[in-house]
Amino acid sequence: MALRPDEIERIAEQLGRDPTDVELYAFDAQWSEHCSYKSSRRFLSRLPTTSPDVIVGPGEDAGIVRLGEHAGATYAIVVAHESHNHPSQVVPFEGAATGIGGVVRDVLCMGAHVIGVADPLRFGRTEDRDAHQRYVARSAVDGIGAYGNAIGVPNVAGDVYFEEGFDDNCLVNVVALGVLKESDIIHSAAPRGADGWDLVLVGKATDESGFGGASFSSVTLDEDDEEANKGAVQVPDPFLKNVLMRASYRVFEMLRERGVVAACKDLGAGGLMGCSAELASAGGYGAEIDLDRVNVAIDGLPPYVIAIGEAQERLLWAMPHAATAEVLRIYNEEFSLPQLSHNARASIVGRITAEKRYVLQHRGVAVMDVDIDVLTGKIADDLPYVECIRHQPAGAELPAVDVERVFPKILTHRDVCSREPLYRRYDWAVRGTTVLPRGAADAGVLAPVPGSRLGVALAVAGNPRYGAIDAAYAAEAAVLEATRRVIAVGARPVALTDCLNFGNPRDPEQYGMLASAVDGLARAARELGLPFVSGNVSLYNESAGGSAVPASAIVSCIGTIEDVGATILPGLQRAGSALLWVGSRELAAGGSVLADVLGITSNLPEISYDAERSAIAIVQRAMSAGVLLSCRAVGDGGMLTALARLAFDARAAGRDLGAELDFGNPFCETGGFLCEVSDDSELNLTGILKVGETIDRAQLVVNGTAFDVDELHKTWSRPLEELYR
Amino acid sequence: MKRRIAVLTFPGTNSEDETLRLLRDCGGDAYLVHWSRAEMLSQYDAYVLPGGFAYEDRIRAGAVAAFDPAMEYVIAGARSGKLVLGICNGAQILLEAGLVPGTGELRRPTAAFTDNRPSGHFICRHVYAKLAVDPDRSPITAGLPAGAVVPAYASNGEGCLTAPAQRLRELQDRGHVAFVYSHADGTLGEDAIPNGSALGCAGLLNVEGNILAIMPHPERDAWNFQHLERRIGEDALAPSGGAVLFRSFVEAVNR
Amino acid sequence: MTERFAAIALKIPDNSAFTARQALARLGIELGRVERSEVWRCDDAGESETFAHRVASNEAMFNPNKHRLTILTENRPRSGEVWIERRFTNDGDRLVKPIPGVEAARRYVGWRLFDRNGSPVHRPALEDAVRLLLCNPAIDEARYER
Repeated sequence: MALRPDEIERIAEQLGRDPTDVELYAFDAQWSEHCSYKSSRRFLSRLPTTSPDVIVGPGEDAGIVRLGEHAGATYAIVVAHESHNHPSQVVPFEGAATGIGGVVRDVLCMGAHVIGVADPLRFGRTEDRDAHQRYVARSAVDGIGAYGNAIGVPNVAGDVYFEEGFDDNCLVNVVALGVLKESDIIHSAAPRGADGWDLVLVGKATDESGFGGASFSSVTLDEDDEEANKGAVQVPDPFLKNVLMRASYRVFEMLRERGVVAACKDLGAGGLMGCSAELASAGGYGAEIDLDRVNVAIDGLPPYVIAIGEAQERLLWAMPHAATAEVLRIYNEEFSLPQLSHNARASIVGRITAEKRYVLQHRGVAVMDVDIDVLTGKIADDLPYVECIRHQPAGAELPAVDVERVFPKILTHRDVCSREPLYRRYDWAVRGTTVLPRGAADAGVLAPVPGSRLGVALAVAGNPRYGAIDAAYAAEAAVLEATRRVIAVGARPVALTDCLNFGNPRDPEQYGMLASAVDGLARAARELGLPFVSGNVSLYNESAGGSAVPASAIVSCIGTIEDVGATILPGLQRAGSALLWVGSRELAAGGSVLADVLGITSNLPEISYDAERSAIAIVQRAMSAGVLLSCRAVGDGGMLTALARLAFDARAAGRDLGAELDFGNPFCETGGFLCEVSDDSELNLTGILKVGETIDRAQLVVNGTAFDVDELHKTWSRPLEELYR
Repeated sequence: MKRRIAVLTFPGTNSEDETLRLLRDCGGDAYLVHWSRAEMLSQYDAYVLPGGFAYEDRIRAGAVAAFDPAMEYVIAGARSGKLVLGICNGAQILLEAGLVPGTGELRRPTAAFTDNRPSGHFICRHVYAKLAVDPDRSPITAGLPAGAVVPAYASNGEGCLTAPAQRLRELQDRGHVAFVYSHADGTLGEDAIPNGSALGCAGLLNVEGNILAIMPHPERDAWNFQHLERRIGEDALAPSGGAVLFRSFVEAVNR
Repeated sequence: MTERFAAIALKIPDNSAFTARQALARLGIELGRVERSEVWRCDDAGESETFAHRVASNEAMFNPNKHRLTILTENRPRSGEVWIERRFTNDGDRLVKPIPGVEAARRYVGWRLFDRNGSPVHRPALEDAVRLLLCNPAIDEARYER
C-alpha cells in the first residue's frame, strides 16, 4: 500500500472512525498519484483546453474534437493518451499490451469505434546483449503488436528513442483514436434522472491480476520489488477485447435505435470501485454495489480484490432498467462472452442512488460505506519545488562538418535509423482505412468514415535529448514538432494531447521540471492556438538509485483533412522541382543527433513563435496553391535526414529520384519544413530559402558530395534489424 | 435476383468491415453473419471468411475455428458447389478444415500456412499476388486476365505455406497454387515473398476450384487512397488493383 | 553433452489452455483441466552452475513474474501429456543461444490433460485430443510418454 501515515489519519478524520480494510484499499487507489493527480493537478489547470473544434475537453475518459460533415451528420474524433511505463518495465509484453488495451477502452466507452493507435516509446541502450533493457525493448514491441493486431486496430504513428536515461525506466505511452457522430457521444457521468439506474459490469471475470495497479504505478521501481509486484501484472486478453469492442458497437447501435441515454466508463485504475464511484459522483449521485454479483474467476476472493482489482477488459454501464435485458442479451448471447473466457459476462452488479454515499455489500455486510464526495473529491499535495534551471552549458561555435564522414553516422544513429523492424510487426493496414504507409511520413493518416473523404492525421513527439537539457524547452519543442508533422502531411492541426513522464515529485528538482514542462506545453499551445483535450501524468519514473528519466512531456497532435485525396504523398514526386527550406537559419546543434555523434555541446535552437506561425502559413499556402509536391518536418538528424527520407519513400513507391542540396550545416535540427514544390512563383519567398532541386537519378548530392540513395537506404535500414530480428 | 454472400465472422475476426464494404462496392449482396447465428448460413449462396485472429490463433492459426459449428454450414455449402473465399486467417481456417487443398480427409490438413520464415514474427508489408493458374481454373479467378498482378497487404504471423516435400510437389503439379508473390511488374523473386512461403505461394485452390484461400489482403489495397504507388491528382475513392479479385468473385457468385 | 529438459508454464491465466479445453469439450472430450507449457530440449555442455539457474537467467525465455520453471527429471512427456513439435520450423536454436553452455535446443508445446477427477487422462483420450485438435499432421509431430 502506498498511502502515507498522514493520509491514513486524514481518512479516519473524514470518516469519523477507523476505515475498514476495503475502505483503506479504496482510498489507497483513489488517492494514488495515478488516480488523483494530487501533485500535478495544480499545474495542469495552466493548459489551454478550449477551441471551436473541441466538443469534449479533459475530464472524461477521452477528449473529442470535430472532424467534419458527411452525409448530413457531424463526425468527431475521440482521442485518449495514456502511459503504461511501470508495468512495461517489469513485464514488458503484458505491460505494453495492456497499455493498448486500456487506452482503447477509454476511447470505446465514449461511444466511438476505435480507428487507430500510436505508441511513443522510450527505451534504454540496447547494445549490451545481456541488458534487461534489450529484453524490455523487444518484448514491449511484441506486446504492442500482439494486442493491437488481434483487436484489429491499425498502429498508425509513433516514435522510439533509445537513450541511457531510460535504462531503468522505459516509457510506453499510447494514444488511441476513435470516430463517432457528434450526436452519438456517450458520457462517463451518470446523467440527470439516473437515480435507481442499473450498474452493469461487462467483460472479463475479476481475478487477482492487476490488484494494486494504481498504487504500483505510483511508486518508485526497485529491482527487488519485481517479484513482490507481480500481483500488479495485468493479464491482457486481446481476443476477449476484440469481441467486447464489437459487442459494444452493437450496444451503441441498439441504444441509439431505442433513443436510450446511458453512461459508460472504462475500468482502469481502482477497478470497479474507482470506476463506479467516479461515474456516479460525476453526476451528483451515490452508488451501491453488491460484490457477490460480480463475475469472478475464482471463489473466495477477498472483497477488496473484487472491488479494487484491475483485471483487464472490463467496462461499466449505467442505464435505465428497461434497457438492461437487451444489453445483457447482446453481450452474453449474441456475442457469447461467457463461452470465450472463463466466466466473462455482462451482469447487473448494483445501482445508482440519490443518496450520495458509496456502499459496497459483501455477503450481506456493508464492507464500505463512505461519503462519495470524500472518496472521489479532489486532493492536493502541495509539495515544494524549485524553479527549473536550464542545464545547458554555454555553446561553442559549431565546427565545420565533413558531410561525407558524418552523414552515414547520422543515418545509423539509434534515434534516426529505420524503425521498420519495429513497425512491420504492427498491423497498420487493418480496417482498410490507412492512407499513408506506417513510417513513410511524418504523421499517420486515416480515412475513418467509410465513403467519405474526411481524414484524420496523428503524430507524436517528445525529444528526450532536449528533455535532458531543459524540461520547458523540450515540452515546447514537442508541441511544435508534433504540430509540424501533422501539417507536413497536409492536415490542419486541431488539438493536442500530452503525457507527462517525470520522476519523483517529492524531489523538488524533479517536481520543478514537471511544473516548467507544463508551462512549456501551455506556452506553445497558446501561441499556436491549440487546445489540450486529453492527457495523462506518470510520475515516479525513477530507479531505486534515484535516477529519473529525462524530462519527457510527450505530445500528440491531431489534425483534420477535408479530402484525403489532398494528403501530401510520401517521397519526392518528380525531377526538376525546387527544394525549399521553410524555417529558421540558425546554426545551433544543442540536443541534436549531430551533437551526440560529434560529442560536442551547442546552443539549443531558439524558439520563435512568430517565425513558426509564418513557416506554417507558408507551407499551408503552398498546399492550397497546389504546388507542394512533398514535404517533411525537420527533426532528428536535420534537413539532410529529412531529404534522405523523402528519397527513400520515393524509392519505395518505385520512383528513382534524388536531389542536389546546398546548405551550410544540413544536420542542425532547427525546426522547420523541407518542401518540394513544382512552382515557387506563386509563393512569397520571404522566410524561404531555396536549398536545392530534385534530380531524375537516385542520388543525393550534398554540398558537392554525392551519395547513392540505395546505399544510404541500406545504411539507414540496418541498425535495428538485429534487435528486432 | 442477386445471390447473397455471407461474410462469416468468428470471435477474433478483425477484417470483416472492409471486406463487407468492398464486396458491396463490387456489386455483391453481402451481409455479416456471426458465429452465434450460424444456422442462417444455409440461406446464403457464397461465403467469405475474412482476416483476423479467430479464437486468437490459440493452439494453431485457424484450428479452433475449423471446428466451430459454423464451419459445418460452410463445408456443406462448399461440397454442393457454393463459392468460398478465405482471406488471411480465413485462408488458414480453410486449410485447417481440410477444404483447401482438399486432397485429404476433412479436418486432416495436408498443408498449412504457418510460422513466417525466417523471423517467426508477424509482418505487415505491401505485396503483389500474381495469378499463377489459368483464370478459368476457378470461377473465382475467371474475371482476371491471365497472369494478373493483384496488389495487397501481407499482414500475418503465419503465412508461410508449409507441407512435406511430396505434398508441395502435388500442389504445384496439380494446379492448386493459384497465386504467387511477385513484384509489381509480375516478375518473381525471393525478395517479393514476405514470409518465406514455399513455392512463393500466396493463395491455394481446392481440387474443384470453388474454394480459394489467399493469404494477402486485397481489400486493403482496393481504393486509391490505400495504394502505395498512387499519384498526385488521382481520385482517392476510386478503386485500385485489389478490387479486381473481389469483382471477379462477385461476378462468379452472380453468374 | 547432456540432454536436459525444461518446461516453462504460465502462472498467470493461460488463455490458450482455456480455449483448448473449450474446443475439446465441443469435440466430445470433457476435461477437468488443461495445462500447457513450453518444453525446451537442450544439448547442454555447461558445468559451472545448475541448468535451472542458467535457464532462469535468460529473460527471453523466462520471466519470474509470469512463468513457472520446471526442470524435468525424465526426458519424455509425463502421463497424460503430449509434446507437439513443429517439424519444419523449429526456432529453438535461435531462441536459446544466450544460455551459456547450451549448444542447441528444440522447442515443443506440451499439453497435459486431466480428467474431471483431476487425474491425467489415459492414452486413448490423449490420442483422440491430439488427432482431433492438438496436432496438425501436415506440419506437427506428437511425442507421447513412451
